[in-house]
Amino acid sequence: MSYEAIAILMFSSMMLLLMTGQRVFAAIGFVAVISAFFLYGTGGSELGFSASMKLMKWYPLLTLPMFVFMGYVMSESRIADDLYRMFHVWMGQINGGLAIGTIALMVLISAMNGLSVAGMAIGATIALPELLKRNYDKIMITGVIQAGSSLGILVPPSVVLVLYAMIARQPVGQLWLAGVFPGLMMAFLFIVYVAVRCRLQPHLGPALKDKELNIPMKEKMRLLRAGLLPVFIFITMMVPFVNGWTSLVESSALGAVSAFVVACLRGRMTREVFENSMRKTLGISCMFMWIILAALAFGAVFDGLGAGRALEDLFVGQLGLNPWVIIILMQLSFLLMGTFLDDTAMLVIVAPLYVPLVKALGFDLVWYGVLYTITCQIAYMTPPFGYNLFLMKAMAPPNISIIDIYRSVIPFVFVMVLALVMVMLFPEIALWLPDYVYNK
Amino acid sequence: MHLLHSYVATIDKLNYRFGRLAMYLLLVMLAILFWSSVSKVFFRPSLWTLELAQFVMVGYYMIGGPYSIQMGSNVRMDLLYGRRSDYEKACIDAVTVICLFVFLCFLLYGGINSLTYSLKFSERSYSAWQPYMWPVKMVMVLGIVLMLLQSVAEFFRDIIKIKSLKNDSSNYVGDA
Repeated sequence: MSYEAIAILMFSSMMLLLMTGQRVFAAIGFVAVISAFFLYGTGGSELGFSASMKLMKWYPLLTLPMFVFMGYVMSESRIADDLYRMFHVWMGQINGGLAIGTIALMVLISAMNGLSVAGMAIGATIALPELLKRNYDKIMITGVIQAGSSLGILVPPSVVLVLYAMIARQPVGQLWLAGVFPGLMMAFLFIVYVAVRCRLQPHLGPALKDKELNIPMKEKMRLLRAGLLPVFIFITMMVPFVNGWTSLVESSALGAVSAFVVACLRGRMTREVFENSMRKTLGISCMFMWIILAALAFGAVFDGLGAGRALEDLFVGQLGLNPWVIIILMQLSFLLMGTFLDDTAMLVIVAPLYVPLVKALGFDLVWYGVLYTITCQIAYMTPPFGYNLFLMKAMAPPNISIIDIYRSVIPFVFVMVLALVMVMLFPEIALWLPDYVYNK
Repeated sequence: MHLLHSYVATIDKLNYRFGRLAMYLLLVMLAILFWSSVSKVFFRPSLWTLELAQFVMVGYYMIGGPYSIQMGSNVRMDLLYGRRSDYEKACIDAVTVICLFVFLCFLLYGGINSLTYSLKFSERSYSAWQPYMWPVKMVMVLGIVLMLLQSVAEFFRDIIKIKSLKNDSSNYVGDA
């Protein structure tokens, strides 16, 4: 069989099986082991298990359960409540101030965990009801929370970048640092959008009445202290890591321990919170691990059979496209797939297909990691299928319909695409910080 | 039919126990890694921590896997699937669960080969610590076996569901 035929056969049978709604890891793994068995020759039937050995030996993966646990400790124990109150009091007096405060809150939460779930949970359960009570426009604020929480996968620590690092064989530290400025830039763009919009249409985000803000300065300062919490967690995690005292994995454990300790000190670590965060961490970690295991097997067979090479040949050799055209086409196809594919699965399917191609085109893989993550963020919130959209529907009050949620993301998707284009045009946004830190 | 019910109940219970056990391995991982950073900064760095943490992680997701299936944590593509009725979902699953089963069988085959190799040649890991590899492979094989048992249980559960839903509404039209 020709390489092209293998590529098409494997890819299409996987898509077909995914459509049946069987568990994603089972569908991917099945295609992998069957094609290995029939096409690979000697050792083909052991390929599945060797993928699981590879998974074990890839040590940054240990960060995954750590960050997931950390996220759940924070959202379940609600230690971030005070943080929201802080922004509420300090930002309330301008139009749209609470929405802007919510974005800032999301940035802080993103700096403490690596997925968007925690930010979403905190946003939907704490910020959303408060904002609705203050007559903020429900469509705008649902969008704010979704867009803001998606920063969780771009701002370090980021689980998505850890997954990408595994597939692209790039250092996680540099990838994380590369995510810092694009993440902040995106948050800034969100804030600009909200501020301008509320300036033009003040009814979308009315300023708070003075009475409500008339609290003593002492209380205000006490609330400001709440802001120290994320700083504390971020420092315990990032400072030892960037200085090289601890490895990445050890830092993630330090972060998880510090979040746990903070929750205990605040008296929020009840039996129920503990049970919920432990159980949900197991569920999410197992889901990720099994999908990665299956995707590794799939990638090994796909590459081993030369199907990856076929793809490269097609784009670079036969079509003779300009590298930039190819990279733009890749992002577009990624976005397109993101609208109707399951995002977690896409994450692990797309990377092994695209990364070798990007490398062959001579682009920086750290830079592409940032593009990849931003595209994932967009895919997470583009209708009709987006992980964030469904999470939002599950967590938001019932008067927010799925149509509201769909409509709410539109302006933010445009802002995110703008950010994507900017990082493509100016790679320095992403690459300056890792270069500075690692080439001192 | 009775046999199916009792199989499902037994396996569910067994894997629930194992899964709960695996859940607490997270704390073990945390403790190991925490010790690792403390020892690195204040004492002599330990050689064994990272590798041991990896082994514990394998136990975590291998043994915890069946429990995560019970909890329904594994994502599916629900583009078409999500719109089906429970009856149709059970029918589709009863067929496609073969994927899960075949995948796991291949894993088991590779796992047993790899385990016997490790036992025969007392394989050690290529690291400064040089632990024996068979205990972790044993855990992996155990995890895969538990996953297989659970996938059969899922199949039986679908069969039971198909039967009971069919009896509930004999003039079932299929769309809900």
